Amino acid sequence: MHPSSFEYFAPTKMKEALELLSKYGEEAKIMAGGQSLIPLLKLRIAAYSYIIDISRVEGLNKIRETGDFLEIGALTTVNELEENELVKEKYRILHEAAVQIADPLVRNRGTVGGNISHGDPSNDLPAVAIATKAKLEIVGKKGKRLVDADSFITDSFTTSLEEGEILGKILLPIPKVSSGGCYIKQKKSAGDFSVAAVAVNLVLAEDETIKSAGIGLTSVAPKPTRANKAERYIEGKKIYDSVAREAARIIVSEAEPSTDFYGSADYKRKVLGRIAEEAINLAFERGLVR
Amino acid sequence: MPTINWNDRELEYDSSRFVKGTGHFVDDIKIQGMLFMTVLRSPYARARIISLKGGISSKDLGAKIASVGEGASEGEASSVEPIFASGFVNYVGQPVAAVFAEDRYKSEDLLDSVEVDYEPLKPVVTIDEALSSPPIHKGMKSNILSEAVKGQDFSDPSSPIVLEDTLENNRISTNPIEPRGLVASFEGGVLNVWASTQAVHSVKNGLAETLGLSKDKVRVMQADTGGAFGSKGGIYPEYAIASFASMKYGKPVKWIETRREHLTSTNPGRGVRGKMKIFSEKNGKITGMKGEIMVDAGAYGSGSGGFSVPFIESMMTGAYAIEKAFVTGKALLTNKVPQGPYRGAGRPEASFFIERMLDLLADEMKMDPADVRLLNMSDKPFNSPLGMKIDAARPFFETAVRELEYRREAKLAKGVGLSFFVLVPGTYTGESARMIVKDGKIGVWLGGNSHGQGHETFIRKLINEELDVSKELVTVYRGDTSVTKDGEGAWGSRSAILIGAAIVAICKKLRTEVEKEFGSYSSESLLSRDHDEYVFDEKPFSLTSFGANLATVEIGRFGNVRVKKCNAYYDVGRALNREMVLGQIHGGMAQGIGQTLHEGLFYSEDGQLITSSISDAGVPLAEDLPNFGVKIAENRSSLPHGAKGLGEAPTIGVPTALIRAVEKASGKRLRKTPVMPEDLIA
Repeated sequence: MHPSSFEYFAPTKMKEALELLSKYGEEAKIMAGGQSLIPLLKLRIAAYSYIIDISRVEGLNKIRETGDFLEIGALTTVNELEENELVKEKYRILHEAAVQIADPLVRNRGTVGGNISHGDPSNDLPAVAIATKAKLEIVGKKGKRLVDADSFITDSFTTSLEEGEILGKILLPIPKVSSGGCYIKQKKSAGDFSVAAVAVNLVLAEDETIKSAGIGLTSVAPKPTRANKAERYIEGKKIYDSVAREAARIIVSEAEPSTDFYGSADYKRKVLGRIAEEAINLAFERGLVR
Repeated sequence: MPTINWNDRELEYDSSRFVKGTGHFVDDIKIQGMLFMTVLRSPYARARIISLKGGISSKDLGAKIASVGEGASEGEASSVEPIFASGFVNYVGQPVAAVFAEDRYKSEDLLDSVEVDYEPLKPVVTIDEALSSPPIHKGMKSNILSEAVKGQDFSDPSSPIVLEDTLENNRISTNPIEPRGLVASFEGGVLNVWASTQAVHSVKNGLAETLGLSKDKVRVMQADTGGAFGSKGGIYPEYAIASFASMKYGKPVKWIETRREHLTSTNPGRGVRGKMKIFSEKNGKITGMKGEIMVDAGAYGSGSGGFSVPFIESMMTGAYAIEKAFVTGKALLTNKVPQGPYRGAGRPEASFFIERMLDLLADEMKMDPADVRLLNMSDKPFNSPLGMKIDAARPFFETAVRELEYRREAKLAKGVGLSFFVLVPGTYTGESARMIVKDGKIGVWLGGNSHGQGHETFIRKLINEELDVSKELVTVYRGDTSVTKDGEGAWGSRSAILIGAAIVAICKKLRTEVEKEFGSYSSESLLSRDHDEYVFDEKPFSLTSFGANLATVEIGRFGNVRVKKCNAYYDVGRALNREMVLGQIHGGMAQGIGQTLHEGLFYSEDGQLITSSISDAGVPLAEDLPNFGVKIAENRSSLPHGAKGLGEAPTIGVPTALIRAVEKASGKRLRKTPVMPEDLIA
């Protein structure tokens, strides 16, 4: 329970962080809140010669609307999301996910960027990013690039970050007037990994049919996934119980949960089906409120 | 029968040092030049060690050093746990080698310097595999570590109702807040050991025997101990390794267990399966019981797997007057860490088996479970065919049903469970205490050592009552084998009974001495002279007590159980301190809820521990617990200070009441702890 030795850097400028990262390459690891990395280091499941703690880097902890997006700095803590009035009022899907992450101690330290870039299939924010069709701003020595949330996490604990790159910002599209979102998560006890969780974001047309659907899933596959087929199935439809039920069936048929201590794959499918149906209904109801 | 509601709180215990951060635990001990030990452990449940280089390992120990644990000198030699694995490893987490450095970071780094080649072998993981597989140890004929039978066999009567079921308590980690640890320092020919322990003498005797030292060359002192729940009663391989290394290097050696090591390598409790058969008359009166139990003893006989079999068997008729009973049982060797005692240590298992059958009988008869129980109790003391002496159960249970307001609860809610049990404390072989009066103050040392219960509180109270000495003048010291000649340990719901009796015995002796010298007794006279008294009070008689629990639950749509009520009605004899009694019960009830709904050690098919973090091992959280409702009956025991056993009552009574409540709420017959959400939804 004691990490192997490492050299520790705490840069205050992004430029310095990037320089350190390119200097030490694969031997270095970026740390923000440390809520996932520190346990791995202590258990010696992971060992790095250089830890670059970016938590002091300036300008990466703001939450603000600019242009078409809500911009969330990667160093924003989950607790800051939880407490932010704008997020509370306008981004319920994000707020609902934030308040259900781990426990208050973890939320006080854990960051939005860390939650996403750790690549853990049971972390909650990637599914929200997928459902809201968010973009991720990646910073590297050569400059910035934007990627879709979908293509960011490529496998369990693996992202499309290239060597020398850091996740800088998360850009959530500002919700259109007739849209609704929610995040429903099922776990056994506080602090447990979830059995399953579903993020749904729906944009409604004038006639109350679904113009655009976003559904992201947590804990039911090796990586956070988009429920493509179900999205296409509900687009153009109004949500009735039967539609939500069929969409949930499609979601379950595509999920690949694994059996573990928290339940068998069958149990997880059962849970997923019920919360998916509920989430689609709830997001639709919220979309109807103008 | 006096009953007290716990509104009038008595605040007098002095464990404030733990709150103030001034406790002194093993890890607080720092000695110049001390080495820190890290243990290299087996990554396999079963493997042949092909080669091993680096660190200290079995080849370094020399011929004089024996294996650890009970039975080191008897029984089947190959089932005795070696200090280091030698030739083969037999469980994940078994010590293979140890490394030492001046701090624990460097010590952990050194693990990489040890090279081991293993040839993995197919492990025996479950009870059923143990029964059907060739022996895991070469020197044995089968995987049966021990067998025991209780009662007289009888041919199945032609009863109108015969019910059978197979019931199980999964393995569970003891998970005290402080894991194991010790500092060993060999100096001037004496091995000094500071340990986190329930029993300094047990550690001393174990180390002396293992290391081939004479007993007067080993001194074991207790550090403040942050919980134990049975797991710190004896010695473990690591204790022998650290002591050996201290002798070898001539330096103090510290070892502090990590949580992951605790989960893999500290003896867990439970892991018992019971096959039950009951015979009943048409009216629900049980005429006979047959049982067969299987204890998953783990890889060696060093835990309690062996002796738990007859102990569990003896209690398997519960508090009921069942005339005929016959139980067979086996402890089986598997490639898992050796099983050990966990709060209750056989009592919760036996109670689980019989209480689950009483509930099954109630359902079969379409009777209320309280009525089925009443029907099977005696108005008079009863000697069970399995050898247990119990007091008249019915009058107590009738009161318990009223005190717990069971009838009302059963009408109000669907998920209601009621349990009843008899607690048999572990009074064997008695306990020691020493009291020294000097400089106007009293010091007390005990053979059985508090690991968080706060023995000092009741000791001060008893001394105050017996000798009229104010509490501030009495200091209770941590265990030290150089001060008490002998001693057992703090376990088995025994301390208030045995230590209390020993203290009272010393007090009476002192009083007589003072009366003789001064003509009459006064505390001033007592404190004006030096005194030094030691007793080993033998109380081998059985001193049982009754208890009942009520639980109510609601089940969420995904099978998550919310415990609404968890109430108790226990006979504690005389409550020596009400607040401490409550604390014991609250903690035990949390553990009872933990065992029933959250906690378990689960192993994969190849014997790897799946639940290797404290979160996965399922220790209950504050949000999982309701407000506890506790009522106490104070029926004084025959002892002068009136105490009865208490510590294990909640871990016996809560699981049986709670699982019944869940069973009623879900409509599904439940046979196993822990109950998982998945078991409860369609």
